[in-house]
Amino acid sequence: MEMEKFNYDNSIVRMFFIATVVWSITAFTVGLTIALELPWPALNLGISWMTFGRIRPLHTNAAIFAFVGNAIFMGYYYAIQRLLKARNFNDTLSKIHFWGWNLIIVAAVITLPLGITTSKEYAELEWPIDIAITLIWVVWGINMIGTIMKRREKHLYVAIWFFIATFFTIAVLHIGNSMEIPITLTKSYSLYAGVQDALIQWWYGHNAVAFFLTTPFLGLMYYFMPKAAQRPVYSYRLSIVHFWALIFIYIWAGPHHLLYTSTPDWAQTLGTVFSVVLIAPSWGGMLNGLLTLRGAWDRVRQDPVLKFMVVAITAYGMSTFEGPMLSLKNVNALSHFTDWTIAHVHVGALGWNGFFTFGMIYWLVPRLYGTKLYSVKWANWHFWIGTLGILFWVIPMYWAGITQGLMWKQFTPEGNIMYPNFLETVTQIIPMYWMRAFGGTLYLSGAILMAVNVFKTTKQGTFIPEEAAEAAPLVLNREAETTTGYKHRWIESRPIQFFILSTVVILIGGLVEAIPLFVVKSNIPTIESVKPYTALQLTGRDIYIREGCYNCHSQMIRPFRDEVARYGEYSKAGEFVYDHPFLWGSKRTGPDLLREGAAGPLKKPDAWHFSHMRDPRTMSPGSIMPPYPWLIENETDYSTIGAKISGLRKIGVPYPEGYEDRAMADIKADAQVIVGHLKSSGVQTTWDREIVAVIAYLQGLGAHLDTGK
Amino acid sequence: MGVSEKHCFHCGEHCSDNSILIGDKYFCCNGCKAVFQLLNGSDLCEYYEIDKKAGITPNIDIVEGRFSYLDDESITSQLLEFRDGKMSTVTFSTPTMHCASCIWLLEKLYSLHKGVLKSVVNFPRKEVSITFNQELISLSELAALLTSIGYEPQISLESIESKERSHVQRKLYYKIGIAGFAFGNVMLLSFPEYISRTGEVDPIFKMVFGYLSILFSLPVFFYSALDYFKSAWGGLKQKDINIDVPITLGIGILFSRSVYEIISQTGAGYLDSFTGLVFFLLIGKVFQQKTYDALSFDKDYKSYFPLAITKLIDKHETIVPVTTLEKGDRILMRNQELIPADAILMSQISHVDYSFVTGESDPIEKMNGDMIYAGGRHIGAAVEMEILKEPSQSYLTRLWNNDIFTKSRRPQLSKKVDELSKYFTFSILLIAFSAFVYWYSIDTAIAVKSFTAVLIVACPCALALSSPFAFGSAMRIFAKHRFYIKNIESIEALTKIDTIVFDKTGTLTQSNLDYIEFKGDILNKEEQSWVKSVVRHSTHPLSLKIFDVLKDSKYFGISNFEEQLGKGLKAKVQKQEIMLGSAKWIDTNIEGVDVEAKKSHVFLSINGDYKGYFAISHHFRPGLRDVISNLFRDYSLFLLSGDVNRSQSELENIFGGSDKLGFEKSPQDKMDFIQSIRSEGKTVLMIGDGLNDAGALQASEVGIAITDDIGSFSPACDAILSGDELPNLSKFLHFSKATMNIVLISFGISILYNVIGISFAVTGHLSPLISAILMPISSVTVVAFTTFATIFKAKMLRLN
Amino acid sequence: MHIMFLLMGFSLFVATGFLIAFLWAVRSGQYDDNYTPSVRMLFDDGVSSDVYDKQFFGEKTKEGERVNGNGKI
Repeated sequence: MEMEKFNYDNSIVRMFFIATVVWSITAFTVGLTIALELPWPALNLGISWMTFGRIRPLHTNAAIFAFVGNAIFMGYYYAIQRLLKARNFNDTLSKIHFWGWNLIIVAAVITLPLGITTSKEYAELEWPIDIAITLIWVVWGINMIGTIMKRREKHLYVAIWFFIATFFTIAVLHIGNSMEIPITLTKSYSLYAGVQDALIQWWYGHNAVAFFLTTPFLGLMYYFMPKAAQRPVYSYRLSIVHFWALIFIYIWAGPHHLLYTSTPDWAQTLGTVFSVVLIAPSWGGMLNGLLTLRGAWDRVRQDPVLKFMVVAITAYGMSTFEGPMLSLKNVNALSHFTDWTIAHVHVGALGWNGFFTFGMIYWLVPRLYGTKLYSVKWANWHFWIGTLGILFWVIPMYWAGITQGLMWKQFTPEGNIMYPNFLETVTQIIPMYWMRAFGGTLYLSGAILMAVNVFKTTKQGTFIPEEAAEAAPLVLNREAETTTGYKHRWIESRPIQFFILSTVVILIGGLVEAIPLFVVKSNIPTIESVKPYTALQLTGRDIYIREGCYNCHSQMIRPFRDEVARYGEYSKAGEFVYDHPFLWGSKRTGPDLLREGAAGPLKKPDAWHFSHMRDPRTMSPGSIMPPYPWLIENETDYSTIGAKISGLRKIGVPYPEGYEDRAMADIKADAQVIVGHLKSSGVQTTWDREIVAVIAYLQGLGAHLDTGK
Repeated sequence: MGVSEKHCFHCGEHCSDNSILIGDKYFCCNGCKAVFQLLNGSDLCEYYEIDKKAGITPNIDIVEGRFSYLDDESITSQLLEFRDGKMSTVTFSTPTMHCASCIWLLEKLYSLHKGVLKSVVNFPRKEVSITFNQELISLSELAALLTSIGYEPQISLESIESKERSHVQRKLYYKIGIAGFAFGNVMLLSFPEYISRTGEVDPIFKMVFGYLSILFSLPVFFYSALDYFKSAWGGLKQKDINIDVPITLGIGILFSRSVYEIISQTGAGYLDSFTGLVFFLLIGKVFQQKTYDALSFDKDYKSYFPLAITKLIDKHETIVPVTTLEKGDRILMRNQELIPADAILMSQISHVDYSFVTGESDPIEKMNGDMIYAGGRHIGAAVEMEILKEPSQSYLTRLWNNDIFTKSRRPQLSKKVDELSKYFTFSILLIAFSAFVYWYSIDTAIAVKSFTAVLIVACPCALALSSPFAFGSAMRIFAKHRFYIKNIESIEALTKIDTIVFDKTGTLTQSNLDYIEFKGDILNKEEQSWVKSVVRHSTHPLSLKIFDVLKDSKYFGISNFEEQLGKGLKAKVQKQEIMLGSAKWIDTNIEGVDVEAKKSHVFLSINGDYKGYFAISHHFRPGLRDVISNLFRDYSLFLLSGDVNRSQSELENIFGGSDKLGFEKSPQDKMDFIQSIRSEGKTVLMIGDGLNDAGALQASEVGIAITDDIGSFSPACDAILSGDELPNLSKFLHFSKATMNIVLISFGISILYNVIGISFAVTGHLSPLISAILMPISSVTVVAFTTFATIFKAKMLRLN
Repeated sequence: MHIMFLLMGFSLFVATGFLIAFLWAVRSGQYDDNYTPSVRMLFDDGVSSDVYDKQFFGEKTKEGERVNGNGKI
């Protein structure tokens, strides 16, 4: 055996670094756009693919998977090679990983604005892309496990454990949540319905935050923080406890996103309890990170990298404290559906993920290019602009959230809700929206400054694609064998490809087998009067999904006095049994629509909806909802209605046999009724316009209550 | 590093003006210079950048072939952990590693020698395990390489015994991992039961969850909790009811009743409480098992006796393992080598440094034919000796044949918890049965329920946790003050002692810090440098000491140097005749020189006229008086000294009365003394340092070994105390007493919880929820209370 | 609500995976040394020089013990 010479592959790090910078600017710009569209709806220029409903998912996806995702892989590929004293398992896989991942994002950038979406938050991408994601993820996994197996350093540094956890858990989550039945290339229905879909979705939603935005970054923290501070982490023992505690608790905290919804109490409380328990390990990690700097605070003053990281870790601490608070029922009663939640996630996104990524970039780039940072001064500027940006972003949003939340709940002495017109509570907070936009602008300009700075840095240095290193080969687990006679070969020897692929296959296979069992014969108390959507309503619902209406309108009335007074009877699990997917929404920028069609003071004529869609402000002055003229012009595409119906029947929606054939007739009939209503109110349109389907859907919402009576 | 005054570039020590200069870098000695050149040669100078003052002055006097014995096949094979073909792995313990740079350099060994393939440091254990190619570098060369850069490996008889590392800790981790995993999941599965209004949860859930919980609990019951069953059983076999008996009772019932309830569908069971309880108990275990990787509390002579020795077989040298030495063998002792067996000096003279044995630092001068006891270090030119007794039978090592050492564990004071648990267990059983009897007449079902329920809630989880956590955190606080205690039993023992016995030399005095003063006419700079010039040429330990004192003065060349063994030195410096040595040597009869302890006086005359003498006297540890006088109030104190009664007067007024003092005590005497006062019913704390105290340390209830260099040798003991912390001794004792009280209070608390729980139980109203709440709460409060109370108390005593 | 079974299934699948990982880690001696790795990782660079630090801190600053108490004994 001889000392082995090898090279670290820096070019893959470089590729992900460039992607990170590019996507950060993109994500922030889109974010700023939608932030402005709220107080200034006209900004979408009347273009369908520019409307808030369509590009809000683009923003979230770009921020999470494009910006943070690429940042993770940038740091990962730099750290793991050095921690394991080994080059990546396979350069081709690395490249496939990079191009695959970024093509997926490009696909998202194209499909989402076109309204091709599943409507499930952070999982909006349609089924072909979901499959692509799975494959690329597996590629990453193989590359990682492979590198681990050819490592020259026996000990797996704690950061690596965090990476492994990320890979394994996200794989399970993604597959579990993306169970869909394809209708066309661009359309699918979630296998789960209503409450069940909601549970799965938020179990995923929560853990996506946990294992995509948190664990990988903790891994990066445990690598780059000590590196930048040139000190070992405060307590390595603590970091190990931190990892295992976090892993074992996190996975159960999901249901807290559904407090007060129609999910079972115990499932909700479960979520709450585990979320609160989570504070301990999270803060353990935060302190471990910050205390790493003890005795080095003088460096923090000099070094923008450390500045960024310190703020990032502090932000992590804040949001991991706030999260559990928000999961307490009484807090959640106020915060849910308001901008409070939005503020909360942005403390995490802008502070923790954003700032830590900036820190990494400033640390990495000079090393990748064997030079100095072009301008430390600019970096410091970036730090201050960014920090101000965060403050201007979140403070108004907390304010807005709490204000609006309180206004919703306010009653007059006579016992009526004080602000019956939802719009009042919106106009109240529009100034905050402007301020938020300002904060966003600062944050974005900071990022641009960074882009220029690192660009200049790359220009002044010369890129080091291959970094020479040497280490002795590792005689695996000898120590264990000599002492316990135990062999670990069972894991090493098995071809990893097979290992991972089989896991995934088993998972998918098992689900396909299992889910129908759960879903079809789920014992949710069905409500007699609740019927499957008519073909026309179904079509309308799909348009509702396409336009992303659920981004601003919830369909979940929680059992509170004010919500019942405002929207009508609170939601029952049984009402959603035919909802593939569920459309509860997570934010009320506009009023809840679950009872939009139910008879009562709020019931509106078809003509109202028609004009409201053409220009909301004619019906409700001051509304910030964008106009949807194209719904009136577009001819509805009924080509796939048959496929939709039979697809839904497959997953348990009781459409009578042969309804596919009668569907068109049905649609014509129902549509003509609405067209009639509109004509009588002096509105001309034909049965085959999208608006008709949408109106049918909206008027159908909650209608079962009347038929029930 | 200031330029004004010079510091060694390698070790950062202050350099005297005759230091070595390379380029702009100063070095205090050749050793440091050598290391620098070595590192510089293989451009490893980053070493100096990682950590300031990283460098360690290597042991200057590495004799050729110092490690050659390592190449003796029999020894090599014993030392190597692993060997395949030419590749071998060995693990050396190198106590001198102390900082990041050390780790860096030790793991870069391969760039110092191409024979080294890989070296991995375990810093907490102060070990480096090296994979090397035996064809390129031999074991001895490897050891020499380490020594040459300042990391001399500690190789002793012990290193070849017990190569196998204990994996106790690992086993515990498995158990915790499994228990924690099960706890989490069972808790998850129990939730529906707790928070749902009756009927809301579909029975199918209850059933499936129930069976799943059982599934999870099985490994916890049969694996994680096993130790408690074992220890309980062990106790019972010795007719002794220890704390684990009620615990076993509790978790046993807890588990079986839960299983019954679930299978019979009569209830949800308490499996979450069960798994949680085991989990917490195990956490407690980890906490009390604080281990100091770098310390060893049970060393005997083996741990510092050499592994091999140079034997002379008809005049030519061969390396043999010490264990093979026999009476009559001829051995060759080189400078600084340790004498492995009682022997007779066959050469002219040897200075034997017994500091290991007695703590007495002044080397004793031995002449041809003198008998030399094992355990001393030979100083000076190589000498021959003839073995009188084989090592294990030698005067000193005989101690270890005493059954005190062979006994695995010496009479431990019974632990408070165990005393308590007797009454506890009985009263619990009493309550349980009476509850049973009471209900039996009314309703059998409730009778069984309440009976089991009592045993469940009474399970003294909190009780069992209180002392691990209280003493555990006490241990940590002590450790902060470099007072390392072997285990929590020892702390508990500390609280009971009423008598303290001190060893003198090295314990009360600081062996490495004798001070030398010149009594007589004040010497001017010139005279000082003359003296220095002379002693510079002598290897006599006293000369070395004097040389050190005069480190700031220059020295010159000398002529007609003459050294008479056992008498003194004589030489001409700058035409001055300098004489140093015994009074007789400089033949002036001196008046006014007190006769006390002549042996450590060096007289000086210049050109025949008497100038005065260097007095080398011992130096009591600072703050000694205060600590003794503090201890006086509560303890009766004794002093046993191995050597002559120097400075007796001083000690008498410290200890008050000569009856408390004993001088010229042999190791055996010391041990016997302890045993005698113990037989008078005293509970004894022995404080010593040298091997000669080993017996006494073992014989006493608690033995504390004082050492000035944690990690270096200290005899078998229950605690290791860093010398400069001795003044805090009274504080430490006080603190351990305080901790004991905290434990007692926490017992009270946990018993209070038990009472509450039992009141539920006897009435047959113990719902799973209540126990699931009560159990963790009681444990958490007790843990929190004990931990914070100890820390608070420590603050009050200014212990942290 | 049989979907809960599915969710539990997922959670247990993941949790079990990690349990196995944990046992493997302990068994293969990953946690025998809870200190040195944190220092070792500071030295894991290839040839990349420290120009960067020089930029902020001039020549390498010699302040401060880098080894923290935790590992000492």
